[in-house]
Amino acid sequence: MPSGQDIAALLPFLLLVLGALVLMLSEVFLRSGGRGYQSGLTIAFAAAAALAVPFAPQQVLFGGQAVSDGFAGFVTMVVCAGLALSALLGRGWLETRNMERGEYYALALFGASGMVLLGMATDLLLAFIAIEVMSLAVYSLAAYPRRGQRPPEAAFKYFILGSFASAILLYGSALYYGATGSTLLSAMRGGGGALLAAGLSLILVGLAFKVAAVPFHAWTPDVYEGAPTPATAFMAAGVKAAAFAFLTRGVLAMVAGTPFAVGNELGGVLGLLAVLTMVVGNLFALPQRNVKRMLAYSSIAQAGYLLVGVIAASRPESRAQGTSAVLVYLAAYAVTVIGAFSVLAVMEKREPTPDAGSADAWDVSRFAGLASRRPWLAFAMAIFMLSLAGVPPTAGFVAKLSVFQAAAGAKAWGLVVVGVLTSIMGVYYYLRVVVAMYMQPAEMEEPAAAPPTVAIAIAVAALLVVVVGFSPEPLTAWARAALLRM
Amino acid sequence: MGTLLNVVVFLPLVGALVAAMLPKGEANQHRTWALVVSLAVFFVSLGLWFGFDPSRGAPEFQFETNVPWIASLGIGYHVGLDGVALLLVMLTTALAPVVILSAWKEIEDRPKEFYIALLFLETAMIGTFAALDLALFYVFYEAILIPMYLLIGVWGSENRVYATVKFFLYTFAASVLMLVAILYVYVNAGRTFDYVTARNTLQVTPAVGALLFGAFALAFAVKVPMFPLHTWLPDAHTEAPTAGSVILAGVLLKMGTFGFFRYAMPLFPEAALRYRGLIAGLAVFGIAYGALMSLVQKDMKRLVAYSSVSHLGFVMLGMMALTAEGLTGSVYQMLNHGVSTGGLFLIVGMLKERRHTRLISDYGGIAKQVPWLATLFVVVTMSSVGLPGTNGFVGEFLILSGTWLSRLPSAGLFAALGATGVVLGAVYMLTLVQKVYFGPNHNPANRHIPDLSVREAFVLAPVIVAIVAMGLAPQPMLQIAKPSVDRLMARMTAAEQRLREAAPTLRPLVGTEPAAIAFARPPAVPAPAVPAPAHGDAPAHGSH
Repeated sequence: MPSGQDIAALLPFLLLVLGALVLMLSEVFLRSGGRGYQSGLTIAFAAAAALAVPFAPQQVLFGGQAVSDGFAGFVTMVVCAGLALSALLGRGWLETRNMERGEYYALALFGASGMVLLGMATDLLLAFIAIEVMSLAVYSLAAYPRRGQRPPEAAFKYFILGSFASAILLYGSALYYGATGSTLLSAMRGGGGALLAAGLSLILVGLAFKVAAVPFHAWTPDVYEGAPTPATAFMAAGVKAAAFAFLTRGVLAMVAGTPFAVGNELGGVLGLLAVLTMVVGNLFALPQRNVKRMLAYSSIAQAGYLLVGVIAASRPESRAQGTSAVLVYLAAYAVTVIGAFSVLAVMEKREPTPDAGSADAWDVSRFAGLASRRPWLAFAMAIFMLSLAGVPPTAGFVAKLSVFQAAAGAKAWGLVVVGVLTSIMGVYYYLRVVVAMYMQPAEMEEPAAAPPTVAIAIAVAALLVVVVGFSPEPLTAWARAALLRM
Repeated sequence: MGTLLNVVVFLPLVGALVAAMLPKGEANQHRTWALVVSLAVFFVSLGLWFGFDPSRGAPEFQFETNVPWIASLGIGYHVGLDGVALLLVMLTTALAPVVILSAWKEIEDRPKEFYIALLFLETAMIGTFAALDLALFYVFYEAILIPMYLLIGVWGSENRVYATVKFFLYTFAASVLMLVAILYVYVNAGRTFDYVTARNTLQVTPAVGALLFGAFALAFAVKVPMFPLHTWLPDAHTEAPTAGSVILAGVLLKMGTFGFFRYAMPLFPEAALRYRGLIAGLAVFGIAYGALMSLVQKDMKRLVAYSSVSHLGFVMLGMMALTAEGLTGSVYQMLNHGVSTGGLFLIVGMLKERRHTRLISDYGGIAKQVPWLATLFVVVTMSSVGLPGTNGFVGEFLILSGTWLSRLPSAGLFAALGATGVVLGAVYMLTLVQKVYFGPNHNPANRHIPDLSVREAFVLAPVIVAIVAMGLAPQPMLQIAKPSVDRLMARMTAAEQRLREAAPTLRPLVGTEPAAIAFARPPAVPAPAVPAPAHGDAPAHGSH
C-alpha cells in the first residue's frame, strides 16, 4: 500500500496521467466547436506537474525500482517544459490544419508520463514499461495526421524499428536477470561474467536506439521528417531527455557496480559511440537542404555531445560535473530544438496536402529573405541556429561548454577535440539557414503569419535561449544541485 | 573604479537593446541614437584614460571587477585593464562613433539592424580586451563573429555570402581548438578559468606547453592574420561595407595580436621562446608577401586589405623580437594600423559611395575635383607608409630597431627583410595615390564628383588629428603601454632563466644584444649567464 510520501513523490507523474485521462474523456462529451481549451488544459497539467517537482520528497519508490531524486526532478521539468511548449505549437499547427482533437494532447501527456517515469526508473523492468508507454504514445503521435503517406510511413518505420529495439532491450534485461537474479540496476554490484556483459551490451544497444546514437540512428531522419512538426519537436526534446536520463543512471550503476573494469571497456564502447555519432551526425547533416531533415541529423549529432557528457559522468573525478552537464545540455537542447521546429512549423508548406511535393516543403529556400519580411521570426530562428551550433552568447554554448568542461575534467581530450572539430561542421549547416534568411532575396510567396500560440512558443523559447546564454548560473547551479541517488 | 569599465563594456549593449525598441521606419532616429550612444561610451572611456595609473608601483590590472558569473562552472566575470588593453579599448571607443557617422549615407537598407549589430559588436570588442577570465574572454571573442558575420553578409557587396561564411568558418574553426586549450588550462591550473590565477599556477610539460601554445597561436594567427592563414581577410575586407572594413581592420585584427600579447605568450612563455623564430619568420614573410600582393591589386579595398597583412606582420615581428623597443613598437603599431588603415578604408568608402566602384582603373586625376579628399588621403597614406612626423614612423622605427637589436637568430636579416616592407609600402601606396588622384582625368564620370561633405569632414577629422598627435607626441601612449611591456619582458626573462637551469649552455634569448649597440663585438667574451634587465629603462622610448 503506497504511503502518502510515495504518492507525493509520484505526483508529477500522476498529474500527467490524470491530465491524459481528463483530455481523453473530455473528447467524448465535446462538440467540435469547443476544443480551444484542450491545449490550455495540457499546459496547465504540465505546469502542475512541474510545480509538484519541488514538493516531491526525495526517496526510493516501489522497493527500489524507482527513485525521486533531484536528477529525476530535473528531467521531469525538462519534459514538462517540452510538453508545454510543444502543446502551444501543436495548438496553432493543428488548428490551421483542422486537426485539433483531444487525443493528440492525451497522447502527448501519456508520452510525457512515460518520459517522467523513465527519468525516475532504477530498474530494468520499470524502465521497459516506461519506455513502452512513452514510445507507443510517440508512435501514435507520429501517425496522428493520418492524411497522406508520410506520417503513417514514419510512424510505421518508427514502430517496427522501435519494437525491435525494445525487444533487444528486453532480451538484454532477461540475460541481466539471469546473471544477477534481479532486474534492479543496483543488483549489478558485485556481479560479473559473460552473461552480464552480454545482457548489458544488449541493453546499451536498445538505449542507443532510443537516443539515436550512430550506428542505431537510421530511423531518425525519416521519422523526424514524416511526423507532424509539433510531434517531432516533442519527440526531439522529450524522448531524448528521458532516454539519456536512464542511460546515465545505467552507466553510473555499471561503473559503480561491476568488476570487469567497466571504466575502460565501457568507456571505450561509449567513446566509440560518441565519436561515431558526432562525426556521422554532423557529416550527414552537411548536405541537407531540407531543414527538417537537417534538424533530424543535427539531433543525432547532439546525441553525440550528450554521450560525451555521459562518459564524463562515468569517471569518478568528473561525476558531478558530467551528470550536471548532461542535464544542462538536455534542457538547453530541448528549448532550442522546440523553438527551431516551431519556426519551421510556421514556414512549412501547407498546401495542397501535407505530403504532396513534400520534398520542398521544408526546403531552405523557403527561408530566403525572411529577415526582411518577418524580422522577429528570422531573428528567433537565427538565435536557435546559433544555439544549436554552440556560438555564445546562447544556451547552446553554455551546454557545449559544460559538456566539454566535464570531459576535460575526465581528461578525455580525444573526445573534446573531436567534439569541437565536429562542431565546426555544425556551424556550416546551421549558418545556411541564417544565410538564407538574412542574405538572400525573398523568392517564395509571403509566409503565413504565425498563429498566436506558436508565436508565444517561439518567443518563450528564444527568450530562454538568450537569457540562459547571458546568465546561465541559475540553470547550471540547479543542475549541479540535482544529485543522483541510486 | 570598476564600475566605470563595466559601463564602458555594457553601455553599447544597452543602447542596442533600446534601439531594438525604436520604430523600424525611422532611419535617422537609429543613426542618431547609435551616434549618441557611441559618443557617450567614448566620453565615459575617457575616464578610464585619465584614471589609469601607469606608474611602476601601480597594480597590473586596474578598474577590476571580479564576481562569479557561472559559479557552478567556475567561470567568473573578471574584467580589468592593463595599459595595452586600455589603449585598445580607447581605439575601439574612438573608432565606433567615426564608423557610425561614416555609415550615415551608405546604409539605406535595414539601418535599424545595422546599428544594433554595430553596438552589439562594440560591447563584444571592448569585452574581449577587458576580460580577465579565460572563458569570459572566449565568450566575447566568439560573440564578435555574429554581428561581424551579419555586417559583411547583409550589407556587403556582390560576393558577400562567400566572404562572410569564409570569415566565420575560418575564425570559428581556429578558435575551437583554443577552447580545448582553455579547458586544459582550467583543469591544470587548479580548476579555474581566472587568467591571473592561471598564469601564476599553470605548470605544463614542454610538449604539452607547445601544443597549448599552438592552439592559442593558431586562433590568434588566423585573426591577425598571419601568412598563410590570411586568405579570409582580402575577401572579407573587400566585400564588407565601409563600416565593417574599418572595424575589421581597426579593431578585430588587433584581437589576434592582443591575444598573443596577453594570452599566448605570458601563459606559455617557454613555448613562445621556442617558436618565436618560426613566428617571426612567418611575420617577415607576411610583410613581404602582403606588400608584393598590394603592388598588383586592381581593387582599392583589396589593396588596403593586403597592406594590412603586411602591417600586421610588423606587429608580430616586433612582438617576437622580445626587446622592449620591439614590444613597445608592436603595441604602438597596433594603434597606428587601426588609425591609418581605418582612415584609408574610410576614404576609399567615400569614393565608392560617389562612384560605386572600387577599381583603381576607374579613377584617375580626380584630385582637381576633390582636393580635400585627395589631401586627406595623402596624409593618411603618409601615416601608412611611416613618414617621420606621423604615427606610422614611430611604430615602424621602434619595431625595426627592436628587431635589429634583438637576440633572434639572424636578427639583422629579419630587420632587413622587414625594412623591405617599408620600402614596398611606400611604392604601392604612392602608386595608388598617383593612379587615383593624379594624372589626366579621362573618365567623364569622374568630372563631377563632390568633395568632402561636412559630415565626412567630421568623420575624418579625428583620424587626421590622431595621426599627427600620435606622430609628434607618442610619449603619453608609450607611457601607458610601458608597464605591460615591462611585465611581459620580465615574464619572458624569467622563462629564459628556467630554460637555462635545464640547459646552462643556452644562448641569451630575451632582450637586446649589447654588442650590437656598441658595434664592437669582442668575440672572446662569452655572453653573460644572466642577462642584464635590458628592458629596465627602455632606452628606445621617445628615441625618434
